[in-house]
Amino acid sequence: MELSTDIDELADQALAEQASDGDRAAFAMLVERHYDFIHRVAWKWCRDRSAAEDIAQNVCLRLGAAIRSWRKECAFSTWLYRLTINAAHDHARSAAREARRSKAWSVHSMALGQAVDEAKPGNGDELWGAVRRLPVKQRDAVLLVYGEELTHAEAAVVMDCAESTVSYHLHTARKRLKSLLRESGDEQ
Amino acid sequence: MIENDLKRLAQRAPRPLEDAKRQALAAAMRAYDHPMQEKRHPPQGLSADGRLTRIATSIWSGLMKQRFMAGSALATLMILPAAAYMTWQIAQDQYGWQAGQSVSQEAGETADPEEAMQTPLQPVLEERDMKRAEMEQADLAPAPQPSAPSVAQRVQKPAVALQQQTTGHSVTGLARQGVAGQVNQQSFRDADKSYAPPLAEAERNRVQSFDSNGVKSVTDEPVSTFSADVDTASYAMMRQALKQGTLPDPNTVRVEELVNYFPYDYPGPDAAETPFQATVTVTPTPWNEHTKLLHVGLKGYDLSPTERPRANLVFLIDVSGSMNADNKLPLLKSAFRLLVNKLDPDDTVSIVTYAGEAGTVLEPTRAADKQQILDAMEQLRPGGSTAGAVGLEQAYRLAQKGFVEGGVNRVMLATDGDFNVGPSDDEALKSMIETKRESGVFLSVFGFGQGNYNDQLMQTIAQNGNGVAAYIDTLSEAEKTLVQEASASLFPIASDVKLQVEFNPAMIAEYRQIGFETRALTREDFNNDRVDAGEIGSGHTVTAIYEITPVGSPAVLNNDLRYGEPKPAAEPGTESGLGGEYAFLKIRAKTPGEAQSKLTEIPVTAENEVSSFGAASEDVRFSIAVAAFGQKLRKTDSVARYGYDAIEKIASDARGADPYGYRSEFLQLVRLANNLAQ
Repeated sequence: MELSTDIDELADQALAEQASDGDRAAFAMLVERHYDFIHRVAWKWCRDRSAAEDIAQNVCLRLGAAIRSWRKECAFSTWLYRLTINAAHDHARSAAREARRSKAWSVHSMALGQAVDEAKPGNGDELWGAVRRLPVKQRDAVLLVYGEELTHAEAAVVMDCAESTVSYHLHTARKRLKSLLRESGDEQ
Repeated sequence: MIENDLKRLAQRAPRPLEDAKRQALAAAMRAYDHPMQEKRHPPQGLSADGRLTRIATSIWSGLMKQRFMAGSALATLMILPAAAYMTWQIAQDQYGWQAGQSVSQEAGETADPEEAMQTPLQPVLEERDMKRAEMEQADLAPAPQPSAPSVAQRVQKPAVALQQQTTGHSVTGLARQGVAGQVNQQSFRDADKSYAPPLAEAERNRVQSFDSNGVKSVTDEPVSTFSADVDTASYAMMRQALKQGTLPDPNTVRVEELVNYFPYDYPGPDAAETPFQATVTVTPTPWNEHTKLLHVGLKGYDLSPTERPRANLVFLIDVSGSMNADNKLPLLKSAFRLLVNKLDPDDTVSIVTYAGEAGTVLEPTRAADKQQILDAMEQLRPGGSTAGAVGLEQAYRLAQKGFVEGGVNRVMLATDGDFNVGPSDDEALKSMIETKRESGVFLSVFGFGQGNYNDQLMQTIAQNGNGVAAYIDTLSEAEKTLVQEASASLFPIASDVKLQVEFNPAMIAEYRQIGFETRALTREDFNNDRVDAGEIGSGHTVTAIYEITPVGSPAVLNNDLRYGEPKPAAEPGTESGLGGEYAFLKIRAKTPGEAQSKLTEIPVTAENEVSSFGAASEDVRFSIAVAAFGQKLRKTDSVARYGYDAIEKIASDARGADPYGYRSEFLQLVRLANNLAQ
């Protein structure tokens, strides 16, 4: 995991401030430096290369538009986490809508409504399959803490909630995952 | 333990592709340089109340801006159909989409616009966002105000959809297909065994699965009806799978699309008044000595260049981030460049892109200004996510703008299949396409890339839009689809072409149609001119094949019914000559622009029969080889014991001149499949 050092963090903060004041070169450098981060987070949230690219590109677009109105209330990296996670949620939602629509089409076209292959992007990993089925908040908490290896406190900042809330989300998520995984074990 | 399992989530993400990165960075810089354009995506992590998501409101307001700008009255009108639509969708959703759960947990911040509409809308929220939307609308001063009729139309759409959904009597082509599908399902015996799990995991390509046509008893179902079809997407997908070293997923193989991928040199009509000519051949079946094949070849009238109507083409191009691969946008550009070169100077071309926001890149431009068109094409860059519906609306608007009376007006949608129609629902999309079809603007779909190609949606869109769906994976495929067959896919000479074959129970005991499962029509649809069916383009050929089992053949699968009516003794040649007929072929088609169809009738008799398979024409033999191959890939029982080697033999004997090398390529594919199947 590529943890940014404090110096990097400071440099990012400075770059971001310059960019938000209209410094084009600073912005270019900022995006360049963070694309890999954005892509990584996006990938962890969807586990699909082309979706991750779409999400990352959306984040870049939003960043370009939003940086000028950045209010520096939190660290740039925190903000970028939020932006990326939101974009990932947006993407997942549109994918879900898409899947529902596909199914609706197929219900029309197949009178007997045979199960159309569920679009399940992913690598067949059972754990990931279960994580995908968690409610959004729990999933975010799990991915931030286990996927991104943040502490509960750091995750709480990104999720803008109390640390204890993160711990609670994780607790519930673990319980739920256990039962989800057992379920899928039974099916086999 | 779960704790250790969870640690695996930290696994490294794959490195981003350089290309994607470059594009994304360029997109970021554009957004940075033109922040006004992106203003409709407020930085969501920074919302005033500091919540993680405020997507519900931002999408809602975005929605307001884009579509329902006429005030809160219209928005209120919207809520009812939207809620009904959602309810309907949830009811359809067998897997339980867990709406209740996510709503209750996130009631305050429901993010999906559909959910947002479904949950009781707090008037406060609605009003506030309306105001905000209106204010922001005012900010975007030059944004065109939708004209009154268009607003009315947009509001009407969901209402229409609602009506269809609540009554459950959808009168669309798709639903009819469903009914037809049922007929197939009900056939007393399906020739296919259930399929093994897909061999080539079709990645995320979404395909509609269907059962192959079963063998039908002529006494039970003497009539077979289907729509002539000119799609070829299945062939290219099959080819791609084989070239990647896997057998294609049997569900992606549509035998009639494979057969109709190849141009055949059937005799065509001499004058435009007879739009097509049918050639019928009965030959022995290569894979079963006890059955025969009834082969129907239609050839459309070939318009000479001077007779060609003017074309008004709108390219609707998906430039979303996922189009960012060598076999997508760059290939698409080269493909359309080929097409532009083929156009007449008076034809017009316009370009609309969609991704994030839909934009008109090129107003209708005469093909004489080729450079301008090519330049516009060159400048297309991937960026953003997909908002297909808005793009489609814009494309239709442009098509309407450059409308050529009596000419060809066509929207050509190029996408990798991630056709996110955004906030509008499917029914609205479909009815829009159908309405536009009535107004004379047709829609063709060209699929690019692999991964998330939504084959089923694309097929449906193209069928509803009276167009073809083709899948383009190589430049040579682009050349075939867009240049060699440009006139066929652009200039229809007959539309709503339906075929009906009535078999003579005195001669034929059983029949089985090869392919066309998804194009089956019900018997009564044949005479109903309002029922939409496929079209035939200039010079295009359509081939349909039946495997027929003569009365008394040892291949008959169904025994006579003990309590059935006594069978009339087969005495060929008696009773006013009808006894000698194998079948009676009826074709209905409309010439473009006419509402009434014309009927062509052809009796199939011993005169159509050839004594040996080798005596049939090259085209007939080749198409039968392709049909055998397709059935093999679909794992159809009938050809289970017929080898790929034998198929290769027939095909290579019937290769003929093969000027473009399509048939040689087919031979390669047969060899590939042969190796892979072992």
